[in-house]
Amino acid sequence: MDRKLETWKLKDVIMMAILGVVFAAVYMAVFQGGLALSTALTPFGLSNFGFEIIYGVWFMAATLAAYIIRKPGVALITEMLASAIELLMGNSGGLTVVLTGFIQGLGAEAVFAAFRYRKWDTVSMILAGIASAFLIFCYELYYLNYITLSPVLLIGQLTVRFISAAIFSGIVCRLAGDALAKTGVVRNYAIGASADIGKIYDEEE
Amino acid sequence: MRTLNPACKFISLLAVTLLLAGLKDPWWNLSAFLVSLLLLLLSGIRMRTLLLYLLPVVLAAAGMFFTGYRFTAESAMPVRSDTFIFQGNSQLMNGILQLSRVLAYAGLGYLFALTTDRVFMVRSFQKQLHLPQVFAYGLLAAWGIFPHMALEYKRTKAAFRARGIRVYPVSPALLAPLLVKSVRWSEELSIAMESKGFSSNARRTDSSPVRVHARDILFTVFCCIMLPVTALLTH
Repeated sequence: MDRKLETWKLKDVIMMAILGVVFAAVYMAVFQGGLALSTALTPFGLSNFGFEIIYGVWFMAATLAAYIIRKPGVALITEMLASAIELLMGNSGGLTVVLTGFIQGLGAEAVFAAFRYRKWDTVSMILAGIASAFLIFCYELYYLNYITLSPVLLIGQLTVRFISAAIFSGIVCRLAGDALAKTGVVRNYAIGASADIGKIYDEEE
Repeated sequence: MRTLNPACKFISLLAVTLLLAGLKDPWWNLSAFLVSLLLLLLSGIRMRTLLLYLLPVVLAAAGMFFTGYRFTAESAMPVRSDTFIFQGNSQLMNGILQLSRVLAYAGLGYLFALTTDRVFMVRSFQKQLHLPQVFAYGLLAAWGIFPHMALEYKRTKAAFRARGIRVYPVSPALLAPLLVKSVRWSEELSIAMESKGFSSNARRTDSSPVRVHARDILFTVFCCIMLPVTALLTH
């Protein structure tokens, strides 16, 4: 295992960790909106839906990093690094954030592995997001005691979570990845090889 | 709590969190929350800071109370609610269970986050939990860049405003340049770190090694063995 981990280049790891930081910050920002919506839905007992709408943001780091770097293990490790960053930032969800990062990353990684790391398009990314959403939901049935809630409510939650995952970690990440590739900044990664790169502007220009 | 070894503290509090998840007992949850608050105050966290952190948690807990109260599984789920700890009014108890669960997990999470030095934590994970060196460096580098990202985001927002363009606080127009900048930073940082020998896997010495003391072992034994045994005996 250690020998496998040693094959990771510092460049890739920093890239994955920084994407983790960006999306952890995005999540924390949209969390405030989710909290406001959740509070508004509280009297109806539907507060969970406030967070379900933004749940897909959680998986964005994994799918975007995998889309850019296109190596086995990237989705899993990025999601774990992102969760470690969340832990460093101070997370109200508790210490199991690293465990949830592992489960979510595993979902996305499984889909990319099923495509043998050859299919990098909107479909594979949407499926990766949905797989992450499904796996983490199974874990939450136990960890968040969701099993004590009504099945109708849970099906509703899962549906919204799937839609959120498809939009954020599928469609938005695909667009973000392509836009990044066009700027040329990721030309040293796998995505850069197939990208239609225009003029590259350096910071000094 | 501040002097505990971060890796031992992490494992111990994680074990308590998973124990609470398994117990599904509101009273255990509320006790864990109150103990966490007490330990946070004893660790020198100011009441005002604590209240600010707890505000969103309390709102989320209230939301989960109503969810648990209005949408109890009852007999519709394969596991009946009364097979857990519910006695009396199962709707009310389910609401309290959901509310207490949010408070307990947040309390334990903050107990770790607010009493642990971030850099010391990564170094402790590297030493005690054998986190590979390259990941420890990657995490520390990303963590170090975080304040610059926040500053860059503010600058971009100000630039948009100066040009009379209205943007939302979380806007793709602001995130796109931040992503580009972040990728550039990651490349420049990795080159800079590699040039200083940070990427090699060679063993190296520490100026201030992270050690495990007797108090860390005692805390870990208490959380990972004594508490679960007590829970087992009382349930």
